[in-house]
Amino acid sequence: MNNLERSALSAFTIAEMEARKIRHDSTELWMRTVQPALWLLIFGEVFNNIRNLPIPGGFSYIQFIAPGVLAQSVLFVAIFYGITIVWERDVGLLTKLLSTPSPRISVVVGKALAAGVRGIFQGVMIFALALIIGVNLRFDPLDILGVFIVVVLFAMCFASLSMTLASFLKTRDRMMGIGQAITIPLFFGSNAIYPVSLMPVWLQSIAVYNPLSYVVDAMRAMLLTGDYSGLPLDIFALVLSTVFFTLCASVLLKRLIE
Amino acid sequence: MASASARGETTGETNDVPPAVEVVGLTKVYPKGPTAVDSISFDVKEGEIFGLLGPNGAGKTTTIKMITTLSRPTAGTIKVFGTDVSSSPQQVRQMLGFVPQAISVDGDLTGYENLLIFAKLFFVDRQQRNKRIHGALELFGLADRANDLVKQYSGGMMRRLEIAQALVNRPRLLFLDEPSIGLDPYSRMQVIDHIRQLNRTFGTTILITTHDMAEADELCDRLAIMNLGKIAVSGAPRELKRTVGGDVLTVSVQGPIQDSVPPELGTVVSSEKGLVKVLTVDGERAIPRITEYFEQRGAVVESVSLSRPTLDDVFMKYTKASLQQEGSFREARSARRSITRHGR
Repeated sequence: MNNLERSALSAFTIAEMEARKIRHDSTELWMRTVQPALWLLIFGEVFNNIRNLPIPGGFSYIQFIAPGVLAQSVLFVAIFYGITIVWERDVGLLTKLLSTPSPRISVVVGKALAAGVRGIFQGVMIFALALIIGVNLRFDPLDILGVFIVVVLFAMCFASLSMTLASFLKTRDRMMGIGQAITIPLFFGSNAIYPVSLMPVWLQSIAVYNPLSYVVDAMRAMLLTGDYSGLPLDIFALVLSTVFFTLCASVLLKRLIE
Repeated sequence: MASASARGETTGETNDVPPAVEVVGLTKVYPKGPTAVDSISFDVKEGEIFGLLGPNGAGKTTTIKMITTLSRPTAGTIKVFGTDVSSSPQQVRQMLGFVPQAISVDGDLTGYENLLIFAKLFFVDRQQRNKRIHGALELFGLADRANDLVKQYSGGMMRRLEIAQALVNRPRLLFLDEPSIGLDPYSRMQVIDHIRQLNRTFGTTILITTHDMAEADELCDRLAIMNLGKIAVSGAPRELKRTVGGDVLTVSVQGPIQDSVPPELGTVVSSEKGLVKVLTVDGERAIPRITEYFEQRGAVVESVSLSRPTLDDVFMKYTKASLQQEGSFREARSARRSITRHGR
């Protein structure tokens, strides 16, 4: 068995470990669908009545925010992984994982994959809700598959970022703080719940660099417009930053137990 | 005390079989911190149970972290079965099992799943995996609880499950950091039995740290006492006990009391209120002769009790001075650290 096979095998084992935990107790997953549901059902429905929002492509407001709400809820799931890894350090599990012959990168990739699995669950729930309340999305199988690929990459990217931060901050309290400090600005400084054109100019210039905007962009292309011209760039940027943060976290993870 | 450590346990094996662990000049200095481990050298032979003892903050856990590749040494070399830890950490980890101080099984998985996941992470052959897992659960008395979540287990069961992992993964070298801490006497006994069983059945070399001197005495073939980052003394428990002097006979006497005994019988350490304490080399053989000596001089010997030096005495001898001098701060900090580690 070469190192790549061992890494892949171990990463899937770590992801399996998480999946088995979810199977024993999935309460948390269900709780996490409450927030996106509220965004769609309350925020979406209310703002749907405002007719003169400059939404590109002539879509309704609730159509417009559905991909944004999905991206946001995946972001919230993923940013939580830094806290999980600090918790596992505190109870001695991380030490144990790092003392196995499995390559270190597989611990990070495995956790990141698990974040992806949770992200897919969010996706399924939000699509189900969209169907129930009659939000008109392009439910084309290939597009849905594409959205799930973006969801997994995005979750892996931010789970790795979160684990990278955890290796510097090292305590759960600080991770909770930084989680808030990252997710809220990213969310409100993106095109998730309003078009960038509505933002003040200074915010627009920041929003250009907001990774969440690119993710939402990719999802909108597949779920609403069918205009795939921006997709390659979106996905390229996403893959690049996922690889980057995965490598960062794998190298730095050791700091947590030293 | 420094001279004791200079007595050097670095002799090493001269034959072809590399020792299970070979540590030479190992040092760890934390940035802006104290020298946690100060140029220590020792060998652990294949197949033995080796104890690493010492007060809190002596550097035991740091040493174990470096051998298990979790922490990088500042200086020195470590070889595990001849393989260098710094240059091939992954190969070394394939040979190791590690049971950390804090209970580290996953409470949100079942006992079976804990064993399964770690067997996979150790790349245990698929064909053997299930057989070994069920065998280990059976042997450690966990079979009927195999499908319960581990968070419903008792502390003793969790510890047994951790040691069962070693039975599934079959490491050549198993590290146990304070394995019996916080267990009731019965669970403790079970855990110790299982450790011994692993050692005997599979020839697993075991390196154990503990604060329980009776346990170390009972379990370890050889041990080293660490203090302030150095190895204060090392050897077999029996040899070490010999270094703190001989046996003490406490003789209860009525009648004329002798303040001294002939030197070949021993030396009187104290004598008051009818109790004479005699320090002697071989206590059991000295009993009849001392009794005879007193009775010849018109005294009545009511009772004689024999107390042997324990590892506690050894421990105190080699660590006490430093505990009084410098200990308090390091001690307090390290105690606090282990409390946070256990607090959930």
